[in-house]
Amino acid sequence: MQDVESASAPLLSDAIDLGYLDPDQARFSQTPGGFLALNYKGADYPRVSVRRSLPLAMPNEYLSLADPEGKEIAILRDLSRLDADQRGLVEAELARRYYCPNVVDVKSVKDQLGYVYFELTVQGAGAPSARMCAVKDVNKNIRMLSDDDVIMFDVDGNRYRIPSLKALNAKSRKRLEPYLF
Amino acid sequence: MDKIDLAFTLDESMRPVDGRLTFDGEGVITVRENGERTRSLSAKDAKEAQVLGGVGCALILLTYENAPDIALARFDMSRLKAAGEWCKIVNHAIETGKPAFDDAIEPEVCEKCGKTLPEGMRVCPFCFSKTGLLKRVWSLMKPFRREAIISEAFIALSGVIYLSVPVLNRVLIDNYLAPRLGTAAQIMLLAGFMFLARAIGEVIFVLSSRVYARVGTLFSNHLRDLAYAKIQKLSMTALGRRTPGELIRRVMEDTVTIKDFLTDYGRWMVDMGLMFIASMVILALTNWRLTLLVFAPIPIVVVALYRFRSMIHIRYERQWRKNSRAQSILHDIIKGIRTVKSFGAEDREIAKFAGVSKDLAQVMTNNETMWALLFPAVTFFSGIGEFMVLYIGGKWILGGSLSLGVLVQFTMFLGYIYQPLRWLVSFPRMLADAMTSLVKMFEILDEEADIQETALSKDADVSGGVDYQSVSFGYKSYEPVLKEVSFTIEPGEMIGIVGKSGAGKSTLINLMLRLYDPNTGRITLSGEDLRAVSPRLLHEKAGVVFQDTFLFAGTIYDNILYAKPDATAAEVIAACVAANAHDFIMKSADGYDTLIGESGYSLSGGERQRLAIARAIIKHPRLLILDEATSSLDLETESIIQDSLNNLTRKRTTIAIAHRLSTLRAANRLIVLDKGRIAEMGDHMQLLRRKGIYYKLVMAQRQTNKAAG
Ligand SMILES: Nc1ncnc2c1ncn2[C@@H]1O[C@H](COP(=O)(O)OP(=O)(O)OP(=O)(O)O)[C@@H](O)[C@H]1O
Ligand SMILES: [Mg+2]
Repeated sequence: MQDVESASAPLLSDAIDLGYLDPDQARFSQTPGGFLALNYKGADYPRVSVRRSLPLAMPNEYLSLADPEGKEIAILRDLSRLDADQRGLVEAELARRYYCPNVVDVKSVKDQLGYVYFELTVQGAGAPSARMCAVKDVNKNIRMLSDDDVIMFDVDGNRYRIPSLKALNAKSRKRLEPYLF
Repeated sequence: MDKIDLAFTLDESMRPVDGRLTFDGEGVITVRENGERTRSLSAKDAKEAQVLGGVGCALILLTYENAPDIALARFDMSRLKAAGEWCKIVNHAIETGKPAFDDAIEPEVCEKCGKTLPEGMRVCPFCFSKTGLLKRVWSLMKPFRREAIISEAFIALSGVIYLSVPVLNRVLIDNYLAPRLGTAAQIMLLAGFMFLARAIGEVIFVLSSRVYARVGTLFSNHLRDLAYAKIQKLSMTALGRRTPGELIRRVMEDTVTIKDFLTDYGRWMVDMGLMFIASMVILALTNWRLTLLVFAPIPIVVVALYRFRSMIHIRYERQWRKNSRAQSILHDIIKGIRTVKSFGAEDREIAKFAGVSKDLAQVMTNNETMWALLFPAVTFFSGIGEFMVLYIGGKWILGGSLSLGVLVQFTMFLGYIYQPLRWLVSFPRMLADAMTSLVKMFEILDEEADIQETALSKDADVSGGVDYQSVSFGYKSYEPVLKEVSFTIEPGEMIGIVGKSGAGKSTLINLMLRLYDPNTGRITLSGEDLRAVSPRLLHEKAGVVFQDTFLFAGTIYDNILYAKPDATAAEVIAACVAANAHDFIMKSADGYDTLIGESGYSLSGGERQRLAIARAIIKHPRLLILDEATSSLDLETESIIQDSLNNLTRKRTTIAIAHRLSTLRAANRLIVLDKGRIAEMGDHMQLLRRKGIYYKLVMAQRQTNKAAG
């Protein structure tokens, strides 16, 4: 259940019930239609979405489970509190909801009139594939999450991640260089 | 066409796939992955096809009345729009039993090369040819071209006069001094010529410089005006993407950088270039072997500079961005200083700014360091040339194959040749600086207004009704805020809009004011498609109070006048009386001349709102839009204002948004928005009887009123 964090100062998180999921009463399953279903405290939810509260900072904690109307059923405090097969199901659903393939190669970059066009090779699950994407306002849409970790957002709403700049090949890095800061 | 295809890109495990989702006229949906059929089902039993957005991806699913939902296809966000169209067609077939294939799902393609355009883009990255930046600068300089050219010509002239000095010098040495032949008068004449040449050259130079400086100032002024005018005209969509700090920087600083470049470097470029070429020709004619020695180090310098160019460019681009960021932060914080103080966050903000500032300093230091290293290196190389000329030329003189006069002429020319070269070293840096600023500048100037006012734009007729026809809109095309909204407002009607926070109420009126255009569907005003109506004229005719009232620094009087600059004092006072602002204004010593600070912070929230109402109604508009215009007022003041507004709003169309339902009691009809859709519509009684969302809202407010009373 909740972490006991400090005995002295009263915390807001103690005063407000966040509705954490009780893993013992929860049963996830995969539907033939391709969705995640949940049976929780006796109630059936045929299609639940799993939404990250902090997709970048804590991708596996504070996962909000909601029904198709967007009504929250419970918050899964930490993915690791589920046992392995249950966790696998939730992870698969997360992968289906959050799609952010890694950039493995930057073939070309073209910069004009406020748009920067990237010709990329990206890889999520499965084989690498070619992608052409346009980024507007690089200042905002290419973000350094750390010195080495980059995320980019294109005009369509796609996301691409470079988990480690150092691991990227030198040519690609050089092409990206002007847009990172 | 008898079937409709949608390409999709991801399989169930989010692996890339060449997928195809087909809906045929018979109502059968087929899913193919990499050419193989994976699924086939009938749309007839389904309730609806839906697009379900994820993060960075989305999917199409079929929902059923009594069966679990089925995910049909998954894809990246680039397919989203097409997917929406596909669902529309399928849903139409489900509802009516008839297929409708009138509009095919065609992604937008480039007219020239046929490649798919990224969504939201008008220029194809592959076919666009960059107009030379300098060419554009040239055309921007049009009004000042003549003066610039004249000044340039004079500078060139003074250069040529200067060049004559070393030549005369050689003649003096070789023809008169070395052979000891000349008379005092001849020497006097030559020396006098040299003196005159220098003097005249200097005078011409000073004069032309003054002309040039003036041209530069006028030009930067011109650029600043252009940028400012463009920013004023930009659509809300374009403005929303940039911080105020960034815009300010573009108007105030980039223009100066460009000007500095043009007046300092543009001019020297021509001047030095001419001197360089002329010197080269004169030297080559005098002694070509020695000339080769002079030019030996030049290729090295040029190659080195060329190699460093892109690196320098990147570095300065980065410096620009860091600078921009520091300014944005500064601007934001100063604007929000009240909030900062109220959270006791001054120290945190100091630290934050110090961090950014240090970052900037670091980048600048790095750039300067690189510079400090590069510069002497190039000077060193050109020094080699100097050495070789003296050494080898000296040997030739001793050997008798070269005259003393020629060597003296060469050493004098060395200055003319190497000086531009040394200067050429700092040129790429200045060029990079200026180019960065130029590009940023043109970025603004080239920004296509999303909402264009064309010569064909019609005047707005606000006396008629407003009609929304299945309007959908999202600030980002992939995040719809309004979905298929349709309703009609009769002329003279008062419409109330209610709904949860974030339901899209303010967005609805943003569209009506044409601050944004709908993504699909259309809005008509007095029967005219709003897209054909000039937004400027529309804004002149409609009275609006936005949810976040903004008052300008100035007097109360000026603020009211803002809406109608030619209004008389009587009109201003009348507006304030109607808005119930008159009394509080008269309480202060300076009355309508009271200065209100930036954003009007010296006023209370309710006072600000009342001024905003006065500003909106002074035009006596036939279309009045009130977004939570009285939310900060007590019930009594609100009802006073309402009564006077009701008198005013008779025969005029009014759209009012309010959370407090009592605000809308005079409304003819109410629209209840829920998650971007119209959930209910009708008058108060009708909606109460429906016992839906509105009913719940009314009951909830009654409850709180009771509890309070
Ligand atoms: N300029 C904008 N850029 C991007 N998204 C926006 C913008 N303005 C509003 N939104 C989003 O659009 C949705 C609808 O906003 P809107 O202002 O229309 O709500 P509203 O119904 O007026 O809410 P409220 O009652 O709180 O004023 C919100 O989710 C909001 O986050
Ligand atoms: Mg609003």
